[in-house]
Amino acid sequence: MHRRGVGAGAIAKKKLAEAKYKERGTVLAEDQLAQMSKQLDMFKTNLEEFASKHKQEIRKNPEFRVQFQDMCATIGVDPLASGKGFWSEMLGVGDFYYELGVQIIEVCLALKHRNGGLITLEELHQQVLKGRGKFAQDVSQDDLLRAIKKLKVLGNGFGIIPVGGTYLIQSVPAELNMDHTVVLQLAEKKGYVTVSEIRSSLKWETERAKQVLEHLLKEGMAWLDTQAAGEPQYWLPALFTELYSQDITPEEAKEAIP
Amino acid sequence: MSFAWPWQYSFPPFFTLQPNGETRQKQLSAWCALALAYSRRHRLPAMTVREAQDSPLFANRRLQRILCGARAPACRPLPSLPSAVGERLLNPHPGKLPLESIQVVLEELRKNGNLEWLDKNKTSFLIMWRRPEEWGKLIYQWVSKNGLTNSVFTLYELASGDDTENEEFHGLDETMLLRALQALQQEHKAEIITLDDGRGVKFF
Repeated sequence: MHRRGVGAGAIAKKKLAEAKYKERGTVLAEDQLAQMSKQLDMFKTNLEEFASKHKQEIRKNPEFRVQFQDMCATIGVDPLASGKGFWSEMLGVGDFYYELGVQIIEVCLALKHRNGGLITLEELHQQVLKGRGKFAQDVSQDDLLRAIKKLKVLGNGFGIIPVGGTYLIQSVPAELNMDHTVVLQLAEKKGYVTVSEIRSSLKWETERAKQVLEHLLKEGMAWLDTQAAGEPQYWLPALFTELYSQDITPEEAKEAIP
Repeated sequence: MSFAWPWQYSFPPFFTLQPNGETRQKQLSAWCALALAYSRRHRLPAMTVREAQDSPLFANRRLQRILCGARAPACRPLPSLPSAVGERLLNPHPGKLPLESIQVVLEELRKNGNLEWLDKNKTSFLIMWRRPEEWGKLIYQWVSKNGLTNSVFTLYELASGDDTENEEFHGLDETMLLRALQALQQEHKAEIITLDDGRGVKFF
């Protein structure tokens, strides 16, 4: 009696069918890969042509630069990867960000004694532009963030902390954990913070708040003010807007030379 | 031209002696630089510590912050910080009164040679934005440049004479002038002498 679907024969048949499906699947996958590969190659060629045609624009225009890099990211190309290679040679884009990174380090070193190694993206931007002078290429905050991300990869002790609508850039290897970051974010509004504010906003115990504040004092990122009405205030020079317009003094500039 | 205040002067914590050692050092340097610049600009005379607390130099009315001395009403004792290190920084002599902030700054100025206490009780002082030795050097430079070694001058001639009109030390008050000459005397470059109608100096 031949029952359908059972018996040694049926099992063997099933196995053969599975194998055939698998092969088909593999073939399908390979097919797709080959097609995708071809597409990516074409994409890359087009992108290279585009880059070459619009080299000037990419170098001069910050908005254009962002869009170009987004395009590159879509196909998994990083124009900033290493100093060598097609992209950086052809566009000089690698150099651009490398140079910008050096400038960022110089500004941060020069101002470190003022702000303990924390600086807002705004102030960093202002100071970098000042240092570049009138005839240099325009540089956007997006450019700065990309350059800083590169610096992070190189292990320069750089960190990017989101606060308010912007970022604080950390340029010293100080240990800043989540607790510290959250207090920095709280302080961003007024440039200072108190134990009570931390307790009410974050629902922390006094001890936890004091620990964070003492750490910030120890790192030189915060200063203590005991003459405020009510309770002591902890101020951050990095968030002190009246400090922004202050030029880097010659003494401070000397600090920037390692 | 109005006096250019440094950014720290508008920063409220600048008027609180900082508990963190490194930050305090930066703060004291900034205070010393400010005190010297202000004293030079406004030709600060000798003053008492009480007077100093009322001076715009140490009291920012707009901010309502004062660099504290014993009786300044705005000043409150520092909060207790959890660490033992913090405590020691705030009160280096447990059992004694903690140092008032303004005293710390004045002492720093004194250590750098830029301040002199005028009485034993340390109530009156003079800020010397230029140290006596530095004044002495300037005076002696003028003397040697003009070939005037071995000459005798009255103090008046030196500070107010026509010959020194263009010199930086012209108009220097007598106290500072004497200090400067004493410094030169120590270096055997001058000798303070008594003349008929006052004092003078001979240069070597």
